[in-house]
Amino acid sequence: MNLPGFVNSVGAWFFLALIPLIILYFLKLRRPKMEVPSLALWQSVVNDQRVNSPFQKFRRNLLLLLQIILLCLLVLALMQPFLQAGAEVAEYMPLLIDCSASMSAVDEVNGRSRLDVVKDQVREQIEHISGDQKIALFAFSSTGRRLSEFTNDRRTLLKALESIQPTHLPGKLDDVLRMAAAYTRTFPIETVTILTDGNLPDQVDFELPFSLDVKRVDAGGANVGITEMSARRSGAEEWEVFVRVAASSIDLRGVELQLWENGAKTAGEAIEVSSEEAERLVFPVSSGAAQLIEARLVPTGFDSMTVDNSVWLTLPAARPLKVWTSPELGSWRHAARVLPNLDMEDTTEDLPKGSDYDLIISDTADLGTAQAPVQVFVGVIPTDLQDLIQVKEDVAYVVDWNRTAPLLRHVQLADVQIGEQPALAAGAGAKDLEERGYEVLIDGNAGPLLLQRREGLRVSFWFTFHTDKSTLPYRVGFPIIAANAVESAMKQASLSEVMAAPTGVLPAITVDAQRDYMIRTPDGESLAVKSTESGTLEGIAAAKVGRYDVMDGSNVVTSIGTGLLSGTESSLKATEELRFTELTVAAEQTDQLDSDRPLWWFLALGAFGVLLFEWWYFQRARGAMA
Amino acid sequence: MTNATPSQLTTLFDNATLSQIERMRLKPLRRLTNRSRGEHLSGKGGSSTDFADYRDYAAGDDLRYVDWNIFARLRRPYIKQFQHEEEMHVVLLVDASTSMLFEDKLLRAKQLAAAFGIMGLLNVERVSAYAMHSQPDRPWMLPPGAGRTRIRNLLSFLEQVEGGGSIPIEKAIETMLRFHRGRGVAILISDFLTFGDLSRPMNLLFSSGLEVWGLQVLAESEINPNVSGDLRFVDSETQDTLDITNASELLNVYQDQRLGLQSALDAMCRSRQGRFLSVNSGATLQSVLFDQLCRQGWILR
Repeated sequence: MNLPGFVNSVGAWFFLALIPLIILYFLKLRRPKMEVPSLALWQSVVNDQRVNSPFQKFRRNLLLLLQIILLCLLVLALMQPFLQAGAEVAEYMPLLIDCSASMSAVDEVNGRSRLDVVKDQVREQIEHISGDQKIALFAFSSTGRRLSEFTNDRRTLLKALESIQPTHLPGKLDDVLRMAAAYTRTFPIETVTILTDGNLPDQVDFELPFSLDVKRVDAGGANVGITEMSARRSGAEEWEVFVRVAASSIDLRGVELQLWENGAKTAGEAIEVSSEEAERLVFPVSSGAAQLIEARLVPTGFDSMTVDNSVWLTLPAARPLKVWTSPELGSWRHAARVLPNLDMEDTTEDLPKGSDYDLIISDTADLGTAQAPVQVFVGVIPTDLQDLIQVKEDVAYVVDWNRTAPLLRHVQLADVQIGEQPALAAGAGAKDLEERGYEVLIDGNAGPLLLQRREGLRVSFWFTFHTDKSTLPYRVGFPIIAANAVESAMKQASLSEVMAAPTGVLPAITVDAQRDYMIRTPDGESLAVKSTESGTLEGIAAAKVGRYDVMDGSNVVTSIGTGLLSGTESSLKATEELRFTELTVAAEQTDQLDSDRPLWWFLALGAFGVLLFEWWYFQRARGAMA
Repeated sequence: MTNATPSQLTTLFDNATLSQIERMRLKPLRRLTNRSRGEHLSGKGGSSTDFADYRDYAAGDDLRYVDWNIFARLRRPYIKQFQHEEEMHVVLLVDASTSMLFEDKLLRAKQLAAAFGIMGLLNVERVSAYAMHSQPDRPWMLPPGAGRTRIRNLLSFLEQVEGGGSIPIEKAIETMLRFHRGRGVAILISDFLTFGDLSRPMNLLFSSGLEVWGLQVLAESEINPNVSGDLRFVDSETQDTLDITNASELLNVYQDQRLGLQSALDAMCRSRQGRFLSVNSGATLQSVLFDQLCRQGWILR
């Protein structure tokens, strides 16, 4: 415990009031006169050693003593003493409050959420703020948000505090720490305090310019939630919907997982899950048209968090993959044609007739107006790389390839012979290619043999050699490459597999280009957005779990849903320490924030008590005299 | 005070009390007497009718005191000796200072002095009285005298005493001793509330052949003061003041001091072959005279 400090030390001058108090006490002390036969006995009484003992003197001057105590207490209260929580309590105190989804977990006993507990602690801190201290409030989930500037205005701080509500987003520290770090350039911040339930990624990519004080509250009660949801096409109009349910407690907890389509319950299954045994369930769904399905969890017992009990998934309409290949690329056409659910355009033209395809395989860079989410160029050097790569008349062979790239999965290229040699220009390297947005998937002996480029949702693969001038079409890996290209296109068009969208930002939605739309959120609010030139709605914030309708006037163009889908949040696990780039910070569990404890009201209360006692004593003395 | 009526001898007490007093006599601890005859038996051989002892006849002895019956049997003359009755001097010293004016202390002192004086006079003792006050127009001394005829003078003297002034008792004793002659009993009737030292006057009384009887008369308000709170006490004699805070808290100490003073006075008198008694002025004269003083052996009935 540190020694108490004083906010208003100047108030000590009021102790000088003791001097007039004592003088006035003796000047104004009026004693009733009483005539006695002789003072002899009373004089000997006054001279008695017992009467003159310090304790007796104290009793004789009790009223004066009470008045001195009263004045001292009042002056001390005026000086606003406080018990210092610690030397590190500084003038500027940024408080970062976790409002991620796990903070909405409630306690099984008292029904209070973690955020409520943290808000109580912060509220107490604000109530006890001293005159020269300033607090700034920040809230964070996946991103950070400043709620108030540095201020000691309790009203402002309390208003900002009350505005914090638990979000439906996972917790992440990076953004809010950067935001706090930006303030260190303006204010002398020594310590930043984080108030959290500890459900955070334990690895933070951030260099701390200040000391961090992580205060952790108890985790909420037991929780069961949906942590994953996806669907895979199993037929022309058949889907298999996968749902993963996890729990936070080691005890088995019973829940019913329900599947809802178009507002009607179509399937349900009762299961038991624990933290050690998550359940994965598969529901068959028949759907030819696009539809939004919801997986809903109905706990049979206590569930501390409801936000992870519902996840939405959009199933696209069933259709064949639309593919176009150059007429010269017979090997590719032949390899792809055998794959199911393909609509391959038979053409002898060098350019595609249509404009929208799912997959284009071409031996020229010029596709006219046609475009596809997945494009494969064969024997083509990208225009912007022609100064870096030249094709030489020499033999090339594969040195290494990226085996995890979607196009090259399960492909063996070791013995492929290539009759031409793409070579990097002198002084050029892979770094130059990366700077221009290309990633090398296959390295040849002189230069890159396969490049990949991502532009938004669109991905293009560039074979720098013509496959017909190599032994690749005769290898087992070639049909696999073709199948991988089709699979990538299927995924890109969401025809083979779809994943439920987590909260945060909605996935890009394909709509008409350059048009205004309204997004109706699960809260019922409307958000005006405009589609891009490429015909997508991008970067739409989705902070809440639920259904988002894209409206064109009063018509619903399409719907998309979200879910929390965070195993970390649903598990409610608290990390013991946060590992930063250079150091590790322990998350200290506490029920109370370190804050200066003002003592003035104790002193004021004591002064009031002394006043009452003095009044009683005075009245008693008067009564006795009467 | 009893109202004086033609049928009453004195205003100090009624005739019934007086008749009771007349049948009582003082009982001194020692036989300090004067040479002149009196009714107190001297320690030396005397001529009273009470036989004391025999001694051999010596030439010059009065033949009337020879025991002839002894002479007839033993053929030797023996002289019979008798108790010698000598006169005892009773000195009454009444404190009439202002402090005695509280709650009939002075009246009780005068009544007791009158009773002691009457007892002395009726037993053929010499009685003198002194009043300690500062009233110049009032008598302060009754010269020594004996016999029934002095009773009237004594009562008249005491009735005229009115209190006032601030003469310390020790100073009054010294003044009295300048006028006093003879051995006997000095009865000091006072509240003994003085700042001075009483040892010296006590020694002077003792060395003058006087047996010191101290009779303290205190008022009820002095024995059990009912005071509380912060007070300013004013001395009735000197007008000096003393500030007392929370007086009720000091009553225990006050009682200790009062009893301590009584013990000191008692020890002072006893060490000089005397006696001491403290009485309440609120108590009746009868209870003091016929009960307390009798039980304490001061007087004989």
